[in-house]
Amino acid sequence: MDTILSVLAVFWVLIIVSYLLMEKGLGIFGQVTRGLTMFLLEKALGPGSDLVEGRKGSGSMVWIIQGVVWLFISSTLTFIGLWLAHDPVALHSLEAWGYHPVSSELFYAGKFAALFGCVGMFIIGTGLHILPNLLEVNLASEKNAVLTSFAWTLSVIILVIGSQNNEIGPVNVILLGTGLNLVVTIAIIANQLLTKASSTVELATPGWLIIFGLIGNPIAVISVFLSGEYDSGLGQWLVYHLSGATFFFSSIAGISLYSASFGSGNPLWSRTVAGVVILGTIFTINPFGNSDPSMAIDMLGLTSAELILSHQDNVAGSFLMALAIIPIIALSSNILITLRGTDIFVENPDSAGIPEINFGAWMLLPLGVASLFIQTDTLSGTNELVGISNILHLMVIWTILIPLSMGAAIQVLPSVSGRYPLSQNRARLAFWMISAGALFGLVLTMMSDIADVVLIEASIEGQNALSHTLRKAGSVIFYGTVLGSIFHSTNLFSGLYRGSKVSSTKSPSETTFKIDLFPLTSTTTIRKILATGAVLDTKIVPTFESKESGNPTSLHEEE
Amino acid sequence: MTDNTSDKIGQFLQGEKEPSSSWVILVIGIAASLSFLVIYNILYPGQDLPVISSALPMFEGVFDSGIWFFILGAMIGAFAIIGTILTEATIE
Repeated sequence: MDTILSVLAVFWVLIIVSYLLMEKGLGIFGQVTRGLTMFLLEKALGPGSDLVEGRKGSGSMVWIIQGVVWLFISSTLTFIGLWLAHDPVALHSLEAWGYHPVSSELFYAGKFAALFGCVGMFIIGTGLHILPNLLEVNLASEKNAVLTSFAWTLSVIILVIGSQNNEIGPVNVILLGTGLNLVVTIAIIANQLLTKASSTVELATPGWLIIFGLIGNPIAVISVFLSGEYDSGLGQWLVYHLSGATFFFSSIAGISLYSASFGSGNPLWSRTVAGVVILGTIFTINPFGNSDPSMAIDMLGLTSAELILSHQDNVAGSFLMALAIIPIIALSSNILITLRGTDIFVENPDSAGIPEINFGAWMLLPLGVASLFIQTDTLSGTNELVGISNILHLMVIWTILIPLSMGAAIQVLPSVSGRYPLSQNRARLAFWMISAGALFGLVLTMMSDIADVVLIEASIEGQNALSHTLRKAGSVIFYGTVLGSIFHSTNLFSGLYRGSKVSSTKSPSETTFKIDLFPLTSTTTIRKILATGAVLDTKIVPTFESKESGNPTSLHEEE
Repeated sequence: MTDNTSDKIGQFLQGEKEPSSSWVILVIGIAASLSFLVIYNILYPGQDLPVISSALPMFEGVFDSGIWFFILGAMIGAFAIIGTILTEATIE
């Protein structure tokens, strides 16, 4: 049996066992386990749990707000990395302080900040609101959710420091950060599973995607260790992609599907297609990510091994990656068609964040196919596209993962904080700056990378002027992302205090809220009326257009 | 004492309006500083300025690349974010 299938077999068995345990419970041990876990989440923290109030929604809000700060940090680190790629001595003055900034290290730091700081915190924060909402119960422990957010931020700080200098004395810094990260992940999983255990409501598909995203990451690591492939290049490559498929892809699929439906007021286009996303995420190999799995290797404290594949592994890996296009298409189409149900966009305060989800959904397919080419090239040992692997990974982060997770987080934030962002205009400006800056800036950098790859293949030495200019332009344009993240941050922070209040009875998208009156202006379906939050007692008020001819409005009545 | 006592004290001390000619004082101050620097250079040619000359080498090499202007913008952004958090939380 080849390596890929043996690791995946363990992964699949563990996922199925976890699913059965979640559905059937632990039998006579269930009550004891719940009590013990609840004790560990709150009472065991001692005086720490008294530091926070534990108000409903506070856990989700704290995670999202910290994610916004990481958005700014990650964009700044990535921008500096892009700049140093064409001007390596730009920050040489910092060497006087003992710091030697290198482009690749800043990219690495930017990826840690973006993936675990920004995207990770958005995913967990949004999930802490969505799952209890879908299950119609309160989160098991809001206090624990609030406290763990700070520990997670600390772990990301350690990871970012480790990306610059992994060994400080005898300490493996990245491994330390991963350890802290793992503790928080276990606490969040316990919190979410306790929440699920307290509900009798059948969980909707986005909820399952969030749960599989959370539990899938540790299960992927356990699978590779159980199968004994952690020290082989293929096992390391696989754990990198399984972790990406579960924690990032599956979770983001869950929160963006929920937010697409929640924000537009339309039901999900297809439950079957959403189910395909779950199965496709688990039973295929997601191609998104770098061809070099060094991030996973560093995080697990392993020694990097060469990627050696048998013919069987090559066929199985390529086939399973090709199959991953099915859940990618399914997710993209489901989000886009769900959003298209109405014309609500960012002008409606209830729909802030929808443009980000729309943009991320559009980018899923082209970048999915491009990533497939890169990974197949690596698996086959051709390695002709390795030169653009890093920039494609950055594109996946900045045009798929961040827009989808941030869109969902912005969509959820008013529900948990009670206020909308301060200014819709600034939110729209920030969206354009982030998305355009990331897309055009990274596309230009990719063009430069491709030019370099071609020149190297042609054995032409020396720096190419066009490539250098493109790289420079790309880094400057990416600065728009930094500015956009600043605008988003200040807008969201101000909105927490001065944004217009969420009117619970008038919210058109919160399906659990009751709407007293529904103005009927045109022909519509009962499904659409119900999707706006109407219930059986809602009065439908026909609002007809006047057939009288229009007149100028008189501003002053003559006496 | 009423709540607006401190406002009244502030008005008493600082007045309500800025005199239109106050900027002249600032300009005279800046011109005088520059003049003294020029005079110092004439009186002690080739001598380093106290404090300033010893502090400037610390910043040697800084701003010799365009990236510093972008980093300056990002730093302003960072302070804007921190400032927003602090002022919004304490505005009441």
